[in-house]
Amino acid sequence: MKPTPHARHAASRLFSRSIVPALTAVSALSLTATAGVAQDYDPTAAITIGSLYEPQNLDNTGGAGQGINEAFNGNVYEGLFVLTDDGDVAPKLVSDYTVSDDGLTYTFTLKDGITFHSGDPLTAADVKHSIERVTAENSASSRKSSLAIIDSIDAPDDATVVVTLKKPSISLPYNLSYVWIVNDAATDITASEDGTGPYTLQEWRRGSALAMVPFEGYWGDAPTNDGVMFQYFTDATAQNNALLTGAVDIITSVQSPDALSLFTDNPDFTVSEGASTTKELMAYNDRIEPFNNPTVRAALARAVDNEKLLGAIWGDYGTLIGSFVPPTDPWYVDLTGVNAYDPDSAKAMLAEAGYPDGFSFTLDTPDYDPHPIVAQFLQNELAKVGVDVSINIITANEWYTKIYKAHDFDATLQEHVNHRDIVFYGNPDFYWGYDNPEVTQLISGSESAATIDEQTAMLTEANKIIAEDAASMWLYLYPQIVVSTSNVTGYPLNGLNSQFFAADIKKAD
Amino acid sequence: MSTPVTTAPRRRRTNPIHWLGFVLVGVIVLAGLVSFVWTPYALSDMAGGRLEAPNWQHWAGTDRLGRDLFTQLMIGARIALVVGSGAVAIGAAIGITTGVLAAFATRFFDDALAALFDILIAFPTLLIAMLVVAAREEASLGTAILALGIGLSPVVGRVTRILTKRILSQDYITAARVSGTSWPAIVFWHILPNIAPFLGVNLALQFGLAVMAEASLSYLGLGAPPPNASWGRMLQEAQSTVYTAPWGAVLPGLALFTLVIGVNLLADGLRDRFDPTQRGA
Repeated sequence: MKPTPHARHAASRLFSRSIVPALTAVSALSLTATAGVAQDYDPTAAITIGSLYEPQNLDNTGGAGQGINEAFNGNVYEGLFVLTDDGDVAPKLVSDYTVSDDGLTYTFTLKDGITFHSGDPLTAADVKHSIERVTAENSASSRKSSLAIIDSIDAPDDATVVVTLKKPSISLPYNLSYVWIVNDAATDITASEDGTGPYTLQEWRRGSALAMVPFEGYWGDAPTNDGVMFQYFTDATAQNNALLTGAVDIITSVQSPDALSLFTDNPDFTVSEGASTTKELMAYNDRIEPFNNPTVRAALARAVDNEKLLGAIWGDYGTLIGSFVPPTDPWYVDLTGVNAYDPDSAKAMLAEAGYPDGFSFTLDTPDYDPHPIVAQFLQNELAKVGVDVSINIITANEWYTKIYKAHDFDATLQEHVNHRDIVFYGNPDFYWGYDNPEVTQLISGSESAATIDEQTAMLTEANKIIAEDAASMWLYLYPQIVVSTSNVTGYPLNGLNSQFFAADIKKAD
Repeated sequence: MSTPVTTAPRRRRTNPIHWLGFVLVGVIVLAGLVSFVWTPYALSDMAGGRLEAPNWQHWAGTDRLGRDLFTQLMIGARIALVVGSGAVAIGAAIGITTGVLAAFATRFFDDALAALFDILIAFPTLLIAMLVVAAREEASLGTAILALGIGLSPVVGRVTRILTKRILSQDYITAARVSGTSWPAIVFWHILPNIAPFLGVNLALQFGLAVMAEASLSYLGLGAPPPNASWGRMLQEAQSTVYTAPWGAVLPGLALFTLVIGVNLLADGLRDRFDPTQRGA
């Protein structure tokens, strides 16, 4: 895609390149156009966001990791629906939709006048293409199985999409909020983009930064800033220092309470705590011995003092939830009492399961904080009940290929960021391979629920069962802390699904 | 050198700075040895508070999990020494063998090996070590030692080759050949004893490099996996708490500095003592 003059201007500023004189004149014009109204913020300011989650590629169906959702959801790509920062599902690219009485046919009407960044208009064919990208054979989208209930997608005219389901799905609009609407003419989605969002990708420098500039043909309200750049760090300390020295304006998640002491009680910075959906867990490979035995898993859960771990990692922040469901999901219940810390009963249960002398396993540990330190904590705790843990440090890339794709592991540590992701336990093909027909039934059945209350009741039940089954070892729920310089406002606080809507961010002079 | 050369060289007094080297290395070696029989706490003991400052119970403070840092420093000393010595032993075995072979080989093989050493030296030791670690399935203490040993070997090989060539050109080697001494005997009776002092200095310097490289590997998560304590990993783990608990990063850094500077001073002393070109300077 050829950058617009406006885009090139922002490029020179975002990356501190020398400004080509010929372009300066053009960009000065575009500046006067937007700076007509007096405001309490600077609409020409670019926002730099520090993040620890650089995407592996630019395609959210290609195993790009949470970083691509952070950078692109709602910014570069939009869905038919959007999951707002408050957790509501609201229409985005659809103006209206109807559901048939049997719940099997959804008819979506697209909004008028929406174009992709390449200039192509949004049509029903693009929507069909986009949904099929997620459900395709080779898609690595974590929501692929949630959309497997789609039987067919039709586009009777350019503004109408008809989705027919194999069985009713009450959360179809919610699940569609994960589906980027991509131009069906776009060829290379892993390294470039063609979405409908308020920003266009301007440059992605692998290992360093991803810059976006406002899309002038955007159908909705123009952004309140002149572009955002995600600056990627592999290390939280470097990220904190960047904020301290003014190299970045916002950091999307603070990784340790110790870093916060730099920013609290400092008038130059704003520290905000939102609701998190990020869960730290040790996932067993539930397919293999001995982890296919719920008694073994329950015993290990009882052997680990989660409260001490949370205190060690997060000090006074964070929450224990006893399961995979955070308080922002409608089916949350406090399950910290299930398989609570009790090393004596852990030993007894191991003996009962046929492992009186314990056993040993390898814990594949991503090489970034907090996983290595959490791994050592688990190693020490489990040693007390005779279970010998070998720690194998791996990179995020290895995690994706070895564990997520190949299921070649005993147990692993991971943080799961998604909202409403209990559905992973209803998918026996998910990397951890938890396969309990009752839970699968409840989770898939909840989709056919007639009312939201019924759906909530069924998923609450599933939540209780996985907790009793100790399907994985859920360690704690992260706190969600965003720190910015005090002249920056309008950013999302909760970051549900690690989304980070940038269009409303304002920077005062 | 304007000083007149005397026929009977006096034994020079050892420079006190070299004694400092001996003391610094001695402290670390002692800590490493004692760690086999005694440490203040068990490595897995998480009974301390979160990030305690150095105090009477925890002489070097505690980490986030409440583990005693002094214990980790002592065991880290052991790991540093084991990895350093192991890597130097492997580097020496590979390097000396290939170096001597190169010196004895035909012109063609000699040139080829010399070029190979030069090419390998062009890669940083750490990079070679990382490649070796990446080629192995899982990181372990053995892998780290092997990786660093292989990384060090081309330097040792090049020095050995040059030293051996110098000895081979001496008249007493010709004399030994004429009197019927076999090549293996020449290597073991004439060459190795004569190059040993020079090589020793070089290996001592390599030891310092290996210790640093081990810390770097561990820092990057490629070194010996936990529960082995490593100064490099202590540094890495202390990084996120460096503002609130600076001792967690300062102390392993200091330990690393002590060992490496000590080894370098010792190597310096060895060279003063054995290298005739330095004598009387």
